[in-house]
Amino acid sequence: MAVTHRSLSQAGASPRPRKRGLQPGQLLRLWISRVIIWAVIIVVLIPMWFVFTASFDPSNSYISVSFFPAHATFANYRALFQGGQFLVWVRNSLIVGLTVAIAQSFITALSAFAFSKLRFYGRKYGLMVLLLLQMFPNILSIAAFYSALAKLNMIDYLGSYILVMLGASAFNVWLLKGFMDSIPKELDEAALIDGANTWQRFIRVQLPLCLPMLVVIFFLTIVGAFGEYLFAGTILQSPSNYTLGVGMYNLISGQFAKNWGEFAAAALLSAVPLAAVFALAQKYLTTGLVAGSVKG
Amino acid sequence: MAAVAQTGTTPVARKRRRKVDWVAYGYLSPALVTICVLSIVPIFYTIYISFTNFNQMHFTSYQFVGLQNYKELLNPHDPLSNLFIPTLIWTIVYALCATGFSYLVGLALAVLLNNKHMREATVYRTLLIIPWAVPTLITMLAWQGLLNDQYGQINGLLHGVFGLPRIPWLTNATWGRVAIIIANVWAGFPYMMTVCLGALQSIPTDQYEAAEIDGATWTQVFRYVTMPSVWRISLPLLIPSFSFNFNNFNATYLLTGGGPPNSNNPFLGQTDILASAAYKMTLSFNRYDLGSAIAVLLFILVAFISWLQMRYTGAFQEVDS
Repeated sequence: MAVTHRSLSQAGASPRPRKRGLQPGQLLRLWISRVIIWAVIIVVLIPMWFVFTASFDPSNSYISVSFFPAHATFANYRALFQGGQFLVWVRNSLIVGLTVAIAQSFITALSAFAFSKLRFYGRKYGLMVLLLLQMFPNILSIAAFYSALAKLNMIDYLGSYILVMLGASAFNVWLLKGFMDSIPKELDEAALIDGANTWQRFIRVQLPLCLPMLVVIFFLTIVGAFGEYLFAGTILQSPSNYTLGVGMYNLISGQFAKNWGEFAAAALLSAVPLAAVFALAQKYLTTGLVAGSVKG
Repeated sequence: MAAVAQTGTTPVARKRRRKVDWVAYGYLSPALVTICVLSIVPIFYTIYISFTNFNQMHFTSYQFVGLQNYKELLNPHDPLSNLFIPTLIWTIVYALCATGFSYLVGLALAVLLNNKHMREATVYRTLLIIPWAVPTLITMLAWQGLLNDQYGQINGLLHGVFGLPRIPWLTNATWGRVAIIIANVWAGFPYMMTVCLGALQSIPTDQYEAAEIDGATWTQVFRYVTMPSVWRISLPLLIPSFSFNFNNFNATYLLTGGGPPNSNNPFLGQTDILASAAYKMTLSFNRYDLGSAIAVLLFILVAFISWLQMRYTGAFQEVDS
């Protein structure tokens, strides 16, 4: 639709309208591309289709490789909810995700504002140093975290897991700072002339304007918290404290993977909303990412 | 406007205008405090532990042992050395393969999708992005079930439909490694595709028109117009993605759990990468000392990769613009 519109307007504007018909070579290339893409899509989606069918297959056996489940039922879903465990996992993950996302958005907004609009010593290289520091992933200090928490008797508490996840993300600060830099300076100057103090400039002027990016960061943090296993698996040990990730890990891992059907149902129930949120948030992000690297 | 103001003011006046907002440190403090407590302190604590014999045997009374742990890991004559070196080699091979193949697949698909005659390209793109959108935690665990030797549906498909012999995906070292690379390319190519597509679409159309007027063939256009732009935009993202894969604990631990077990090494399985090695040392064997030493060696490697990235791509130069 958009393509048609563009080519029409182009034809109207330029004195020599471009030919719309495809040459045989182009047509052949188009169809070869299509066939290759179809093949790749099938290969990419087959594993997901298998998970989908397994979630409706009550026999809980893999032996039947059918592309459509023979006797589709909701038995796996019922089993998942009957124990009540799935809801506990989702609740725990929601508690962690929401707490961490609220705290992270707040921390990120404060420091992005400072980096974007205020002058202070260390502004020039501060963010770069923080970004470099966070190139070292947390996995590397797992021994330090685990032994420190064990010494403080803080293993197996949801609270200590939240605490560990609270650290500010320099990458988020960088994203939000980039967004704030694009807000016209005049707005900030107008607020200054009107006698606004720094806090009012932050709350009244900058925060409402960068709300879209902040919402993106908020949701990406929640999705990240749902997909976190490393610390969750380390800290949370009793089933009542499991987050979604740890719970699902314990459903599937093991030699015979006997809960495959239930796992598939849990995977489907959690993956679909998470993927939808992620895809929506990412749509805003990718444009920003590529624009940032073009600049460099 | 800004330029005029700047040339008009004397250095003294400019200095006065560049006054410091001390309140900025207040705004920064939550981020700085959390980063200090949760990133910097743990790093130093890890370095400290790696020089001690802090493990389950010496949980309350540990001593400083100097370079003992590093000697054990790096000395080729030490029984523990077959823990580190083979794991390191596999980590590098895995990270190179996962990043390289994801990039190639992503680039190829992006080139195919970037065809202005393909009206339905958005539909294809949406379908192909799904593996990226689902958290790796879920996809890797799902792959674990799908690749199960006996009951997995992948073997069911290959054996039942195509008549191939059952592949021991998770019980054979080589196939386990192949499985890890396949699953990670599956999960990683959509990101590369998105980046490359963005790069392709940012190429100004006049470059293509100029090439067309000069009578360039399709391959020449690709070689001299398309690739340089794609390369310029995607390289800064390629090295971070290598270092991401280098530490991608989820990718191996959730898929194979490091298995199958190693016959001459009780600690680590044959598909363990360094990140999962450090994790297992800490959690399964309570050898905080060795886990930390592995982590410190990994720190150094990651720092080296980051330095390479800074050196050759100039990423983050624009952070302060």
